[in-house]
Amino acid sequence: MAYTPYDWQQTLRQKADYVEDRLRGGSPVAALSCREGILLLTTRRTQSKIFEIYDRLAFAGLGNPSDLEAVRHAAVDFAHAEGYQRSEQDVSIQRVVGFAISPALKRSFADPFRTPLVIRGLFVQVAEAPSEDLYYVLNYDGEFALYHDYAAAAGTDFAEVLMERVLSGEGSPNPKRKPRKALSLEEGLQRALQAWSTGRWALEEGTEAEPEPEEWEKAPLPPEEELRNVLAEALEGGGERVEAALLERDLRRERLLRFLPEEELNAFLP
Amino acid sequence: MTIEFEPDRTGGDFRRLLERAGGSAPAPLSPVPAAGAPQPEPRPGAGVRMRDRELPLGGEAHGTTVIALKYQEGVLNVADRRATAATGILYDEAEKILKLDDYTLIAIAGSYAQAAEAARYLRHSFKYYARSQLQEMSLEGKLSEVSKVLAQSVPSLLQGIGGFVPIVSTYDARKGEGRVFFYDILGARFESREYSAAGSGAEKIRGALEYIARAKKPFPEMSLDEALRESLLLLDVAAGLDPATSGLAGYPPLAKIITARGIEDVPEERVRVLKRELMTGV
Repeated sequence: MAYTPYDWQQTLRQKADYVEDRLRGGSPVAALSCREGILLLTTRRTQSKIFEIYDRLAFAGLGNPSDLEAVRHAAVDFAHAEGYQRSEQDVSIQRVVGFAISPALKRSFADPFRTPLVIRGLFVQVAEAPSEDLYYVLNYDGEFALYHDYAAAAGTDFAEVLMERVLSGEGSPNPKRKPRKALSLEEGLQRALQAWSTGRWALEEGTEAEPEPEEWEKAPLPPEEELRNVLAEALEGGGERVEAALLERDLRRERLLRFLPEEELNAFLP
Repeated sequence: MTIEFEPDRTGGDFRRLLERAGGSAPAPLSPVPAAGAPQPEPRPGAGVRMRDRELPLGGEAHGTTVIALKYQEGVLNVADRRATAATGILYDEAEKILKLDDYTLIAIAGSYAQAAEAARYLRHSFKYYARSQLQEMSLEGKLSEVSKVLAQSVPSLLQGIGGFVPIVSTYDARKGEGRVFFYDILGARFESREYSAAGSGAEKIRGALEYIARAKKPFPEMSLDEALRESLLLLDVAAGLDPATSGLAGYPPLAKIITARGIEDVPEERVRVLKRELMTGV
């Protein structure tokens, strides 16, 4: 049987549909800069979904756990081999995502004889000042985008946009944008939980009423009470647990990623 | 390095990762040649020369005296700052106490190039294991990793260059105490009850260390100030007897501690104050 360009396009389309369908059920990931470091937050059932990649790099994502594992291992392997053969300072998020993981992911996705990896990942790099922190959101087809201050990864674009709006401080008494002042860890935690709940809301309740993409920036955010319900439901009925980690800004230490213990989180949970 | 998305191809073994990555581990760490591979010809007399650490080899930088002591809160590491090459002083601000992870220090004496490279390798190896396997490497695992690195310097030892002796100190959170391990040049490991010293100056003060422990007070019962005072004084004694060791006269010695809180530098100011007291005999 001949293999035509049409088939190839069709295959990619089908693969993309398959992956996006599976990603929709994934728990969103929110990340933002605060004074103490970069806070990463998501929920989990059994397996951990936030990982340390290298000295200043961490990774979190949603998707198939074994695909997350595969991407994580590839990133850890690349970073450590590079860091040893050159120096720790030469390993940057831009090299790890842009030159190692993304092209390989694209190659693997475009290969018609391979099952696509079900993954949407968030890579972060902590710096000395919050304004220099970097965020890369990486998609299953190898595409990636760079963000500053905060970033979100979720099952749909709509959910991501709403989460980003919450993370930017929209609707909060002191929006982060103007007089740029880094949040404290407590403030960051509150905002990240709110963003996560918004993402989950957009994936569940929001889907029916999902507006056209051009409306996303202006679509009303769900009221706070509803967000608390979404979170409470996930934690009780759904058997999920909040997983939050801080990639610390204290660069003197060798290992920077610190998972926040339950006691520290409980004060913020419904 | 080709990126493939297969979970865990190395089992957390950093050496295997480097082999896969296509890069070679640097020469001092390259694996022992396989049987049948051309072996370097041992130079006549090289062994004798290697055993006699007081005859430094031409041109190669050597670190000299390092001391590790247990004290009340954990472990104190103190090192003089001198690096020598042949019969000359190469550098008087060398750092010979290096961090392996947030709770482990390695203090090195001998070939500076190999030791520094080994420390870099070990640091990566521990971190790689922890990050890829999602659990810390055990203390036992870390200690034998140090042995392996030492064993790999055998080919260069046979050629008459290199060779170093490390002291590894760590804080054992399970036991709630500091621990000190020392090695011979081929990688044999021993645990020390109270103290350990390595390097050309160390030979001169080993007796004094034992004397202090017996006559004054066991080191693990000393406060940081007491332990620091004794070790600085010992470094000065070693400097008086060993030309390759710098004493208190020059740049202040380097001191680091490991406690339940992790690794901290003893502030240079504190060392300077003690140094002045010791030098003026107050």
